[in-house]
Amino acid sequence: MIGIVSYGTYIPRYRVKLSDIALAWNKNPEEIVGSLGIAEKSVPSIDEDAVTIAIEAARSALAASALSPESIEGLFVGSESHPYAVNPTSTIVGELLGIGNNYLAADLEFACKAGTAGMQAVAGLIEAKHIQYGLAIGTDTAQSKPHDALEYTSASAGVAYILGSNHLIANLLAYTSYSSDTPDFWRRDGIRYPSHAGRFTGEPAYFAHVVGASKLLMEKAKIQPSDVSYCVFHMPNGKFPREVAKRLGFMKEQLAPSLTVDAIGNPYSASSMLGLAAVLDIAKPGQKIFIVSYGSGAGSDAFLWETTKEILKRKPMVQEQIDDKTYIDYVQYLKQTHKL
Amino acid sequence: MNVSVIGAATTKFGELWGVSPRTLAREATEGALADAGITKKHVQALFVANMLAGPLGNQQHLGPFFAEELSLNVPAFTIEGACASGGLAVHAAVASIRSGQYDTVVVLGVEKMTDHKPEDVATALMAAGSDEERLSGATFPGLYAMLARAHMEQFGTTGEELAAVAVKNHFHANLNEKAQFHTLLTIDQVMKSSKIADPLTLLECSPISDGASAVILSSKKKNVEIIASEVATDTLGVAQRKSLTQLAATQEAAKRAYQKAGVEPKDVDVVEVHDCFTIAEILAMEDLGFFKKGKAAAAIAIGETTLGKTKRFVVNPSGGLKGCGHPVGATGIKQIVEIVQQLRGVVGKRQVTGAKIGLAHNVGGSGATAVVHILKI
Amino acid sequence: MISPVKIWRNQKKVASLVGKTGKIVAFTLIRVPPADFSNQAPYPVAVIALDDGDKVIAQLVDWNESSLKTGQKVQTVIRKIFETGDGVIPYGIKVKPV
Repeated sequence: MIGIVSYGTYIPRYRVKLSDIALAWNKNPEEIVGSLGIAEKSVPSIDEDAVTIAIEAARSALAASALSPESIEGLFVGSESHPYAVNPTSTIVGELLGIGNNYLAADLEFACKAGTAGMQAVAGLIEAKHIQYGLAIGTDTAQSKPHDALEYTSASAGVAYILGSNHLIANLLAYTSYSSDTPDFWRRDGIRYPSHAGRFTGEPAYFAHVVGASKLLMEKAKIQPSDVSYCVFHMPNGKFPREVAKRLGFMKEQLAPSLTVDAIGNPYSASSMLGLAAVLDIAKPGQKIFIVSYGSGAGSDAFLWETTKEILKRKPMVQEQIDDKTYIDYVQYLKQTHKL
Repeated sequence: MNVSVIGAATTKFGELWGVSPRTLAREATEGALADAGITKKHVQALFVANMLAGPLGNQQHLGPFFAEELSLNVPAFTIEGACASGGLAVHAAVASIRSGQYDTVVVLGVEKMTDHKPEDVATALMAAGSDEERLSGATFPGLYAMLARAHMEQFGTTGEELAAVAVKNHFHANLNEKAQFHTLLTIDQVMKSSKIADPLTLLECSPISDGASAVILSSKKKNVEIIASEVATDTLGVAQRKSLTQLAATQEAAKRAYQKAGVEPKDVDVVEVHDCFTIAEILAMEDLGFFKKGKAAAAIAIGETTLGKTKRFVVNPSGGLKGCGHPVGATGIKQIVEIVQQLRGVVGKRQVTGAKIGLAHNVGGSGATAVVHILKI
Repeated sequence: MISPVKIWRNQKKVASLVGKTGKIVAFTLIRVPPADFSNQAPYPVAVIALDDGDKVIAQLVDWNESSLKTGQKVQTVIRKIFETGDGVIPYGIKVKPV
């Protein structure tokens, strides 16, 4: 059996209110907050990036396990804000975690599902008994162009999962993935900010892939929504995950604990992984968790987890990090995200 | 064997836009030679003190550079120890004469800092600190600001007492035609000037300056004698020091200097100390043994070391680094020039009457190097 | 730019200093920064006495007025030291109040 040994999350402490952004651009704050279902988003410090955030999350995951850093034999970091176009984030993280030299390191990029793609890759390596323990990280300091719609939701966080085949807090019962070439959101090399195709990012992109992957997983694992305790979906805004959960037949209570987007916005590669962590923070033993990510371009990774007795040993962390915040104004936000 | 300072001269210190390092060197050296009453053919070696010509001007190998410029075809050396370069060059020159290798040498300190933006100069000056300090984003005002805060927390030294050091040194500089500044300051002005690194303000920090000073040292003629020349070293970075409220290197160099000179602090009439920041003068007064730990600030503030007010001794009659200016490589030598001229009684309005014994204190970085010279007429 | 080789040689030192606790021994607020740090000012710099006996000097992050005091407990974290345009990014130790 393979599954999660431990997890760690890191949410940078700064928050900017969506209403402050709206007012800067002479938009109606109530309209923006109402349509997105988000009031504020997390902002990295000027000296934080996907690397430093990944290290914080990974150190937390290692501390929550009984493992020494050297036991990690696979390290995949998924992000859409890797600091280098060429030079791996994963080895900088690996070196500063002290995991030694005997590991497979790779950087992944796939919009907001780069982190979960890493989880499936690591799971495969462990299932094949090629490695014993692996670390999959989703980390982002998401960039967006000022005055663009994405500015209201692009946030920052990092989540790390240590996967293995013993001492598990949750078993991986089944996983699958749904992919297609759907250009809903992209960024050309050398261009600073991403572009998106407006409403095309909805039905043909997010919904088609999340529903597609969900149906594949339900078929593979022979389950229905009522068989699971919780569901988690990628959260580009407050509305999409609620809508897709409803369409698939999940109840509001099953989705509610995962909705970190309401508090901190969309941290891209860390989004669904953070939602999963928020659920694991409160889950009891023997509960099934259905999680589907989404990455533009496009694809969705789906997983079915079941918590074990060991879950009771975990120390919750997400709500504390959500609550530990300092507000900054729009100008300070622009400075910290390197636009000024 | 006695080593005397037979010639001493300094250029004006300041923002000398049109003046090059070569011109500064010529003015100081020719002035010192004339003062000594000797010609170039008597000079057997040239010691050059400088810190920033390499980092800012891409020019090192200053020994032959200035030897050629000054038409002094003699063995020539560059001595670098950050802001203590001048004092260290004098110490090396003294040692070279005492060894019998040379009998008459020129020691020239020269620095050209105003060709570059202040941020670039501040960055270059951090070469005097440790790598860890540079990576922390510290600046020299920041490092000394931490020493100031530690001193304020441990001894109750106040912001006003810190400011009083700058006021005193400007009062002295105002009487020195070679000084960079001739403006008088008030405590209020100093405290209200813009903050550089809390708690130090702009007017508590020595300026960026150009200038050159030169002395001629010789064992062949008697003049003001150097009766002690001592150097001590401490950790490069402040974090690794044993204490943040003293400079151990100053204490050690001073102890050895007093011992070798057979002199005590109470015997000293005139002092030039390294006031790169106001707190540095307070630390120096304590570390050189003039005041007990924690007592110097209040004493300075009531005029115990001010020309015309003191009943004891005067500190930084030249205006110090704050009032006279701080062209890094030149400062340690300018201090010797000032002491020599004070002991000879030739400084006019800023004369410390009847001065017989003088002390010069030069520091490198945040206290990693300290040089103490004691001179007697 | 810091030489990539020098950054590489320093990795073990950085890795060994992360996650340590200590106290502020002395601090200042840098308002006039060196060129490389211009976009970060004002920022505090402090001498820290680590609980294991070592002393370090580092920039303080995630701070506010009340955390700038002698004796404040801090923890070491890894952050970007400064921006380097097209050079290798130096990651290093800073401290944050706990």
